[in-house]
Amino acid sequence: MTELGALTVEQLATAERRLLNPQPGTRIQAAREFGVDLSLMLEQLRLSPSERASQMLEVCQSAERVRGSTRRTAA
Amino acid sequence: MKFELAVQALTDAGVEFVLIGGWAAILNGSVTTTRDLDLCYARNSENHRRLARALAPHKPRPRDFPSTLPFIWDATTINNGGMFTLISELGPIDLLPEVAGLGAFDQVKASAKLVTAFGREVWTLDLKGLIAAKRAAGRPKDLLALPELEGLLEAGED
Repeated sequence: MTELGALTVEQLATAERRLLNPQPGTRIQAAREFGVDLSLMLEQLRLSPSERASQMLEVCQSAERVRGSTRRTAA
Repeated sequence: MKFELAVQALTDAGVEFVLIGGWAAILNGSVTTTRDLDLCYARNSENHRRLARALAPHKPRPRDFPSTLPFIWDATTINNGGMFTLISELGPIDLLPEVAGLGAFDQVKASAKLVTAFGREVWTLDLKGLIAAKRAAGRPKDLLALPELEGLLEAGED
């Protein structure tokens, strides 16, 4: 059984090196040129999957509150 | 949207499923947002019974189904269907029997990893599987997701 967990210290160090200094011809460099914010990507990789889920749930709930507030204001 | 409760209801009922789509991307490190829960589920009678039982309390209905028509959510409906795009009290939930580029449930699960999230352990499509699925789907919105997913894969590779 394969589990997806937080990156190990070594994996995170590698990811930081690659994301902070993307090399020409790499997929990371292509992502940056496409418009992907590599610093946000790195922030996500510093979290565990569970923390990523919790963070996104908070974003969704905030968006719901804003939408509800906008609807009440418009009414 | 109560994604956490939806995942908990499904896992607690013993439903065999793999988390795919936007939430799988998020758990793998994507900064994308999503408004629905996409799942690939195993096509067998027992799993259909569990799936029906898990979601029935939350009043699922097909999103494109007229509200004036009756809809029965049970194992027979799931047996007779395949893909369901539902709205429920927990939010939008899409149930797929297979994933383009990967295949049916067993192939999808072979590309999945067990992830602790939402207070449960959830089989979640990995980055390589997500990339294969997005490539096969081939819609503009899928192709737009590829640079980030491929960057994430490269960042985390040994």
